[in-house]
Amino acid sequence: MSYFLQLLVSGLVVGSIYALAALGFVLIYKASRVINFAHGQFIAVGAFAVYALAVYLQLNVWLSFGIALFFTALIAYIVEKLFLKPLVGQPIISVIMVTIGLASLLDGLIHLTPFGGGNFSLPRFLPEGGVSFFGVSVSYPQLLAVLLTALFLAGFGWFFQRSTLGAAMRAVADDQMAAMSLGVSVEHVFALAWAAAGITAAAAGFIVGTVSGINLESLVAIGLKVFPAVILGGLDSIPGAVVGGIIVGVLENLATGYLDPLVPGGGTAEVFPFVILLLVLWFKPHGLFGTEEIERV
Amino acid sequence: MRKLGVLVFLVLSFAFAQKVHLMWSGAITGPTSDAGKYYAQGVEDYCKYANEEGLTGGLTIVCETRDDQYNNANTQRNFEEALERGDPAFLGYSTGGTLQLKPLIQEVGMTYIPASYHIGNIDPPDSDYLFLPIVSYSEQVIALLEHIAKEKPGAKVALAVHPSPFGRAPVPDAREAAKELGIEIVEVQEMAKGLDYTATLKRFANKGVEYIVYQNVAGPVATMIKDARRLGLKIKHAAAHYAGGPDLLRLAGDAAEGVIWVTSYYMPYEDAPGAAFVKKLGARYKRPADTVESVHYPSGMLAAAIAIEAIKRAHAAGKPVTGDAGREAVYAEMLRLSFDPGLAVGPVTYSEEDHVGVDHMRVFEARGGRFVPISKPFQSKLFRKVHYGK
Repeated sequence: MSYFLQLLVSGLVVGSIYALAALGFVLIYKASRVINFAHGQFIAVGAFAVYALAVYLQLNVWLSFGIALFFTALIAYIVEKLFLKPLVGQPIISVIMVTIGLASLLDGLIHLTPFGGGNFSLPRFLPEGGVSFFGVSVSYPQLLAVLLTALFLAGFGWFFQRSTLGAAMRAVADDQMAAMSLGVSVEHVFALAWAAAGITAAAAGFIVGTVSGINLESLVAIGLKVFPAVILGGLDSIPGAVVGGIIVGVLENLATGYLDPLVPGGGTAEVFPFVILLLVLWFKPHGLFGTEEIERV
Repeated sequence: MRKLGVLVFLVLSFAFAQKVHLMWSGAITGPTSDAGKYYAQGVEDYCKYANEEGLTGGLTIVCETRDDQYNNANTQRNFEEALERGDPAFLGYSTGGTLQLKPLIQEVGMTYIPASYHIGNIDPPDSDYLFLPIVSYSEQVIALLEHIAKEKPGAKVALAVHPSPFGRAPVPDAREAAKELGIEIVEVQEMAKGLDYTATLKRFANKGVEYIVYQNVAGPVATMIKDARRLGLKIKHAAAHYAGGPDLLRLAGDAAEGVIWVTSYYMPYEDAPGAAFVKKLGARYKRPADTVESVHYPSGMLAAAIAIEAIKRAHAAGKPVTGDAGREAVYAEMLRLSFDPGLAVGPVTYSEEDHVGVDHMRVFEARGGRFVPISKPFQSKLFRKVHYGK
């Protein structure tokens, strides 16, 4: 039983990291219907910003994290203004191609810095070890991942439900024309959605860096790995991103624990969540919490 | 006036020296670029040094490092470009790219020195022109198993390998060697990049695994070692060349203490001429500390040194060193190459039957944040027995 419980808890922890990374996808898609294939690169920008501030400038890690959140949000905001804004009203495939190009561009720019190749590790800022309960062990970085994810979800939940700007973003997501007729600046909302996604990307980069070290390829891979989680939860649903992330995390762990011994070489964690994803999408094509759009002709 | 004359002579000699191109194609960006970046710098720096110090026998070796992004199609394009230009040898990188190019390499007869130490590179068929700079992954893993068998006879071992031909390379030989050594390989787990390896580790622990042997890259190994420590498992960790090294120490921190690692290279802090040479070149070409500390920096140097030495000897023998004839001449020199550039723990020796350059390696243990050698340079006889049956 403790074996199952450990797999479940580890899955929840990994899933919450996926959820945090997935949040950025959802925020942008929810506001602008754009799928950002450069999200992994923003995660990397956030992680390297924390590292640079904490190691090169020797700032406190938490202060570095705070500055990195702002910095990544600013980069995302500028990127939207420079590359995405001119594409408002253009076919969605053009916008998607731009985000793919953006991923290559950011990759190239990161490679011009000392962070392109190599493995980096943040200075230790958490105590060694972790907490144990009912035979289950969770490290402090993992615990931090869960707490930060919960914090960000609560923050964004409040923002969308209670703040004027959040209401404006929801209005734009619901109907751009109606929102514009009410005086909402759609362009401004789009840029803010990118900035918000930048914040979550930086948080995800910080967490991944704390748990497993900082490496460009790994960080970018996380950005793409959460894609199934987003599809599973529903591309435009924040709770969906969380549930999708956690489901994928738990399924990966259960597959490793119970299916790998049955398959020579193992590696079922890489496949099993996708099998479940296909099954879910068979019955719910818009994901578990995605908005079902009905077009009448 | 005499000084000016000497200077003019040197400039003119350089300008009129025969130029020979040598290309390296590997991952400066993309997957495994954490190794490829430093490997490329090693190739570049040794090449510059050899030209500047006159180690090229009057030739000017023009080294080019190309980023193939760990993409086999890019590697092939680079190889074909080098071939068309008349390069006499080629420095490669990945396992996948090398295995894919084997038939072409055999067809065109170009000496090929990869950064991949996959034994399949030099096993028939199509292996005549392939040369490993140091001992194969199979020999490295068997050396680790021999170490484990001495430390804990009858030990239960799990192999955690990269999900690729690179990772799977030593598995069949390791299984055979384990039988010979009387240790048990309980499980072979393919291990991709992940954020948590609790499930795998718990499973290993339930099966009584005492050692995990890694044929992987440092990132996932560091996470697994940290997870094992958090879970309080008494499992010991042993890493082949690419799974360990300073990168592992940087990523795993204190959790890496006690990790066993095997490689043929020196560490920069060792009191050895090879280590001093690496530091000297790093300082001369203003490389940052992380480059000098990386084991991939001397690896790139060694590959370049081998190719340059063979080209130099072919030229000294009065043979052409470019085009079809150049490829033949350099290959002929490779088959009788025997020299010691001092970059690894043994000399580089090749022959018709032996396509492994440095035949020795050492076992290291992580102590106090450094990998410290705990063995003398040695070869694995058991590897020869299980792989070649002799």
